[in-house]
Amino acid sequence: MLHKFSELKILEPSRVRVSEARLDEIDVEIDGELIRGVRPRRPFPFSYPEIVILYKDKEELGILRDYRNLDTRSRELLEKVLKVVYFMPKIRRVLNIRSVEGKYEWKVITDKGELTFFTWGRCVRVLRDGRLLVRDIYSRAYIVDEPEKLDNRSRLYLSMMI
Amino acid sequence: MSHAEDNSILVYPSPDEIPLFVKDLLQNGEEVVAVVKTDLVGGDYGEEQVVLTNRRIMVVNEKLSNSLPLSKVVAASIRGYINTCVLTVDTEEGSNSLAVFTRGRLEAFDKFVTIINNMVVGKIPYELLKNQLLSKMKEGQKQRSVRAAILRLLGLLKPIAPLLVASVVVAVAIRLVGLVQPYLMKILVDDVLTAGRADLLIYVIVGLLAINLVNTLLNTLNAFFGTKLNVAIVNTLRSRVYRKLHELSLTHYDRFGSGGLWSRVVDDVNRVQWFLTSAFIPLFINASMVAFVGVTLATLNLWLTLIALMPIPVSVAGNLIYRKAASRYYHRLWRKWSRIVSVISDTINAAILVKSFGKEEDFTKKFEGYQTDYERAQMDVFKFEQQIWPAVGLAFTASSLLIWWFGGHDVLKGSMSLGSLMAFTSYMWQFYSPVFGLIENVRNLQLLAVAAGRIFEILDLEPDVQEAPDAIDVELDGGIECENVWFTYDGIHYALKGVTLRIRRGERIGLVGPSGSGKTTLAKLFLHLYDPQVGSIKYDDTDAKRIKLNSLKDQVAIVLQNPVLLDATIADNIALGKGDVAPEEIIAAAKAAKAHDFVMKLPEAYDSEVGMQGSRLSGGERARVALAAALLKNPKVLILDEPTAALDALTEDEVTEELEKMTKGRTTIIIAHRLSTLRFTDRIVVMENGKVVEEGTHEDLLQRDGLYKKLWEAQLRGLTRMTTIEANEQVSREEYVTQVQ
Repeated sequence: MLHKFSELKILEPSRVRVSEARLDEIDVEIDGELIRGVRPRRPFPFSYPEIVILYKDKEELGILRDYRNLDTRSRELLEKVLKVVYFMPKIRRVLNIRSVEGKYEWKVITDKGELTFFTWGRCVRVLRDGRLLVRDIYSRAYIVDEPEKLDNRSRLYLSMMI
Repeated sequence: MSHAEDNSILVYPSPDEIPLFVKDLLQNGEEVVAVVKTDLVGGDYGEEQVVLTNRRIMVVNEKLSNSLPLSKVVAASIRGYINTCVLTVDTEEGSNSLAVFTRGRLEAFDKFVTIINNMVVGKIPYELLKNQLLSKMKEGQKQRSVRAAILRLLGLLKPIAPLLVASVVVAVAIRLVGLVQPYLMKILVDDVLTAGRADLLIYVIVGLLAINLVNTLLNTLNAFFGTKLNVAIVNTLRSRVYRKLHELSLTHYDRFGSGGLWSRVVDDVNRVQWFLTSAFIPLFINASMVAFVGVTLATLNLWLTLIALMPIPVSVAGNLIYRKAASRYYHRLWRKWSRIVSVISDTINAAILVKSFGKEEDFTKKFEGYQTDYERAQMDVFKFEQQIWPAVGLAFTASSLLIWWFGGHDVLKGSMSLGSLMAFTSYMWQFYSPVFGLIENVRNLQLLAVAAGRIFEILDLEPDVQEAPDAIDVELDGGIECENVWFTYDGIHYALKGVTLRIRRGERIGLVGPSGSGKTTLAKLFLHLYDPQVGSIKYDDTDAKRIKLNSLKDQVAIVLQNPVLLDATIADNIALGKGDVAPEEIIAAAKAAKAHDFVMKLPEAYDSEVGMQGSRLSGGERARVALAAALLKNPKVLILDEPTAALDALTEDEVTEELEKMTKGRTTIIIAHRLSTLRFTDRIVVMENGKVVEEGTHEDLLQRDGLYKKLWEAQLRGLTRMTTIEANEQVSREEYVTQVQ
């Protein structure tokens, strides 16, 4: 390999302990050294959500190959932050999609409750694993986890937009 | 008008193909290699034969008018003017203009020139040249008649033949069932109502019901087969053409242009489908209808049938006149419309121009003028149509009135039943439409052949870059040898003229030279995207032609000047060059290409979509993604065409530094305009006008008073000027601040 992986600063889970979580920041101990205000970022939020890169300001502290291998408390704290940073309602049912003045009005039921939002014509992206990403006119994303498992009506509406 | 023979070139003609007066000129052992014909003699239309033999080039106009021994020829070329081209042959004494022809013959003369150059410049062994030409010539001869095109099209559609047959059968059946109804009505009127046979009534009613049921069923089947057939035709043809696209060489893409290929894959395929379903299938339907209904009519009443045929010639004539003139009227209408569209488009797209020059009033006037023109053209179409159709309509009215007149008399006389007359008029209308349909079908068949021909043109292309049957997988070591390479994209202009270059394993070469000097072409040849017409490119002593294309492309990576990205995610674009890629490798490659930081700033990071052709990224970002893709392949040979052109000075510096690290020990060819990018290369090769003109290290080249020194000094001057401007700006800013204070 041309680029040695060692240059990638891989963080072994055992070296990392998360002690605090605040909205989009965590306090983290790496090799016992406490670093405050660390921002976790996913390089592949859809294809490899388990990979997380930790940033302190602009500096890259290292890559967690799979954050789920952290100890339970660290993992829970990190997930709390990831939930904020990668907030994305999951669409469970599509109640209606209708065209309104060149836009589309979606009425959906998500894991965060019932929602209404507007999209442009081209708004659905099919992710490689088959999940659907719907983007509204404000560029907010909504995800459909298993489109084929939705009820018939929802699937009919979605197929209209893909 | 262009004829097929316009661009024919006779290659190694058989004795009877050689004109007698040419044969007479041949000396002992002299063999005709190629013959082309001009269409001009001097400044007038006329014909001359230009003959290439193994010894000389002759121009023959009934008798020999010019002759030049090949031993004196340095190279041949074509000079192009607006309409004409001149075949020119350079000798050591100077250039000779041998023959003039219009651009209509350019293709043939192109080949002719290439053959001459292959002999005198490329010095290709004569036997090899002859074999190549003879084998190529056999491929070139293809017939293109309407019948042949349609038969071939049907051959392509063989897999869906059952569907095609079923569609025709069902469609014919519908028409035939339709014929029974008037017959039943005749029985109803004559035998049941008039003759009072009440017992038959129930049979007639049940018969009518049955016919309607069968008809409904057949119509459903017809719609089903029709839809299925349409999709099947398009899919069968399009996947054939699409697969062919991947086989084509880049030269074909250059020749047809992306728009041209696009229209073959999308438009022509649709056209074939449309003509097939609207001309080919109806042809059978209409022909069978004309036969059945014609016979039925004649059986009912021969005299009336002849009257019924009367308006047909009038209508055919009307149709022909209409078609001939309508295209003119409609074309005019379309031209007027497109002018309106172009004003609207200018107004919207060049709004800033219109506004900044205060041209709103002019545009509005122009627009309104065009609107009026359009309205006038529309009215002309209306007037024109009114001259034809009423006359045709009158002919039909006259014939049907005559039928009622004579038929009415027959019924009153008792020589014809009322039911028969009613059936006759009903059949008569069923007779007209298939007759006109047939005329339309024949015309559409020709259009079908044209559209099919355009598809075959693509399917018949032979890729220029073909893998040798005995091509092998080779583990490259990194040495490249380029021996007397000549290359031309168009057969006229040579982008490379005898380039010889040896690159050692692990050597880092900088390729510099003015735009159009052949740097990028050479790089593309290294990747075997094209084959040189003359000369060879070898990788560690193996000719590129003998290496499997995929094997070469796995080990040689190129980053193009304006890199093209796929409409996919950044991760997909980086992983393109390699099959199974771990996410860490993607990150590592991106870091090496200085792409990681900007990628991580995007909310979706590596999962971000780049848009059509990478439109959501800036030029510099695209360049870095493309570089990452090339690095991920871990290629033995890395070719970078202006890798830093789209980068700002700071990033360029960073990338150059990174490039230096990762190219260490790897054969690398860097094409650069900014000479500072080349500071770490082992050797710099300077190209000009398709040739290598200088070679050496940066210091060596500066010592020589050559092109490199000029380029270097020009860039230094540019830099100094920039620094001076910046300094001046700084001064004036300071002055400004002082004044304000």
